[in-house]
Amino acid sequence: MSNTIASEYGHTDTSVPIEHRFNPYSDNGGTILGIAGEDFAVLAGDTRHTSGYSINSRFQPKIMDLGDDLVMSANGFSADGDALIRSFQQQLTWYHFNNQNKKLRPSSAARLIQHLLYGHRFFPYYVHTIIAGLDEEGKGAIYSFDPVGSYEREQCRAGGAAASLIMPFLDNQVNFKNQYDPATGQARLKTYLKLDEVLNLVRDAFTSATERHIEVGDCLQIKIITKEGVREEFYPLKRD
Amino acid sequence: MSDPSSINGGAAVAMVGKDCVAIACDLRLGNQSLGVANNFEKIFNYDHTFLALTGLASDVTTLSEVFRLKTNLYKMREERSIEPETFANLVSSTLYQKRFGPYFIGPLVAGINSLTGKPFVCGFDLIGCIDYAKDFVVSGTATDQLYGMCESLYEPGLGPDDLFETISQAFLSAVDRDALSGWGAVVYVITKDKVTKRLLKTRQD
Amino acid sequence: MEHDPFKWGRPDNATYGDYDYRISNAKNTEFPSMHTQQPIVTGTSVIAIKYKNGIVMAADNLGSYGSLARFSNIERLIPVGKDTVVGISGDISDLQYIERALDELEVENDYDGASHPFKANHIHEYLNKLLYQRRSKLNPLWNAVVVAGINSDNEPFLAHNDLLGVQFSSPTLATGFGAHLAIPLLRKVADKEEDVAHVTKEQAREAILQSMKVLFYRDARSSNRFSLVTIDKDTGISFEKDLKVENMSWKYAETIKGYGNLQKF
Repeated sequence: MSNTIASEYGHTDTSVPIEHRFNPYSDNGGTILGIAGEDFAVLAGDTRHTSGYSINSRFQPKIMDLGDDLVMSANGFSADGDALIRSFQQQLTWYHFNNQNKKLRPSSAARLIQHLLYGHRFFPYYVHTIIAGLDEEGKGAIYSFDPVGSYEREQCRAGGAAASLIMPFLDNQVNFKNQYDPATGQARLKTYLKLDEVLNLVRDAFTSATERHIEVGDCLQIKIITKEGVREEFYPLKRD
Repeated sequence: MSDPSSINGGAAVAMVGKDCVAIACDLRLGNQSLGVANNFEKIFNYDHTFLALTGLASDVTTLSEVFRLKTNLYKMREERSIEPETFANLVSSTLYQKRFGPYFIGPLVAGINSLTGKPFVCGFDLIGCIDYAKDFVVSGTATDQLYGMCESLYEPGLGPDDLFETISQAFLSAVDRDALSGWGAVVYVITKDKVTKRLLKTRQD
Repeated sequence: MEHDPFKWGRPDNATYGDYDYRISNAKNTEFPSMHTQQPIVTGTSVIAIKYKNGIVMAADNLGSYGSLARFSNIERLIPVGKDTVVGISGDISDLQYIERALDELEVENDYDGASHPFKANHIHEYLNKLLYQRRSKLNPLWNAVVVAGINSDNEPFLAHNDLLGVQFSSPTLATGFGAHLAIPLLRKVADKEEDVAHVTKEQAREAILQSMKVLFYRDARSSNRFSLVTIDKDTGISFEKDLKVENMSWKYAETIKGYGNLQKF
């Protein structure tokens, strides 16, 4: 057998050329961040799109408005991210056809996304997904997913390239982790933040991430979901 | 995870304030995911110059002793304590001597120059490249988290009390997001005539 | 059963007769299917920039076989419909496959006479789906594609698409070496989308010509003969073929030993 490369006893023939395989994944950088408030939710992301050290685009927004007061972003390998969002949108269209245009709840959207992601369990969508909306009581809702569909509802979550920089900041400033009341010595009570406070936190988080992460920058896109609907804001970030 | 610099875990940070500096480290020593000790301090002082060493625990201990030896010899020849800036260069050259078989550590130096009164912090890579920073330096397995925290909480010109609050909040929130760091923390706040060491109560998971 | 440690557990020859080695030694000349694992004949960079009223795009005419300049007359700017041009770099056989796929698409769309012509954004979306589908079968079309044209809102449209199905859009785009050498030059002219409104056709064309020159200087897989296309909102597509890189200066070479005339040194 001329093309045997290993015997049962672990003798490896190293002179055989190593097979080169096509790598179906890449990393397009960028980072995203979702925060839920009492009666609103925000989903933010930078608009830089990269391959290695190259900036492909300085303005390639990745927070998508899905209708039904839902927004979604899938950050990581952008081809998979785009494909995931598109298949969600198609499923949503069918849901509307079959249910007299009934509005899809964030909890249901989350379960659907779990199935879309888990459907690719053995060839995963290489993305960190976050959706934002308002729940049945009108309270802000953030759901975040791992690449194969594990998900959880949370108060806040950062995803993507600079998630490790932003997430501890959110623990500290949104959930008041490690903060104590000087008078009583008790842990600072959790309260809902106001929208303008949240927007300031989001902008601070992204300016900091831009400073220290090369794949983050150019422009900040924020989508805000309130009972009035979905609104969008843009802010410049450093372009270096 | 056979990367030597992340087997034992650990993190450190140093910050500059107004006429003061602060330096902090965690207390964990682990074997990969298993916690082994919660009293492993990573900050050492050679008189008024402070050194934090993160990375491979055996190298941390070895190097802290190497620098004890070297600073003692320095003191005998010069008849004075080593200054932070000088010590930084000592660290750099000592590490570069092992350029092709390095110690797996991430050192930070902090202190106030006793002659000029200028606060000083700096960081290094494992082969001695010096990072002179105006504001803060970070090191260890929670580097990403520390950069995120420091970049957003830090402001220049803080007094000793505010600097303590800032470095503590930054450090605690950072190590809570790192599985290999935590299990207690120590913060030194250094002014010209006083050094305050505080042990912080932290999560124990 | 065999008890030899290297053949343990296999049927032994005494019981079952010799193993038929003809099966495992059968000639592997005819595969059930072949996947592109590497490009063979390749085209280098495609570069493009938006201007006020449209887009200028260029690509050279070389088809390289590794380091051999194998084909010198390859056209890599492919018009699709009345207001789209697709610029393709990478594998040339895959380029021709894409060319046929687009042609088929157009015929299928047009033959009933009902006029719903494809716009640039439609072509881009089709190519994105095609490329992503093929990468998902682990059988990629080894190309990077720039789609330039006018979209369904009658605005200039410029987007990039590659073998992984990664897609993005920007006022300046370039594939391959162009992403490193041409993009910095082109972004000097149009950095942000807002800048495009102030860029004239002449400025855009000049920037592209300069970039093609720089690419010919420094990209070893490029040639000095290229095609350039201008897609204008009002005047439509106009091709300029058989262009040559002009006004080159090799003066710097004189001062470099071993670069210019050796006898000088």
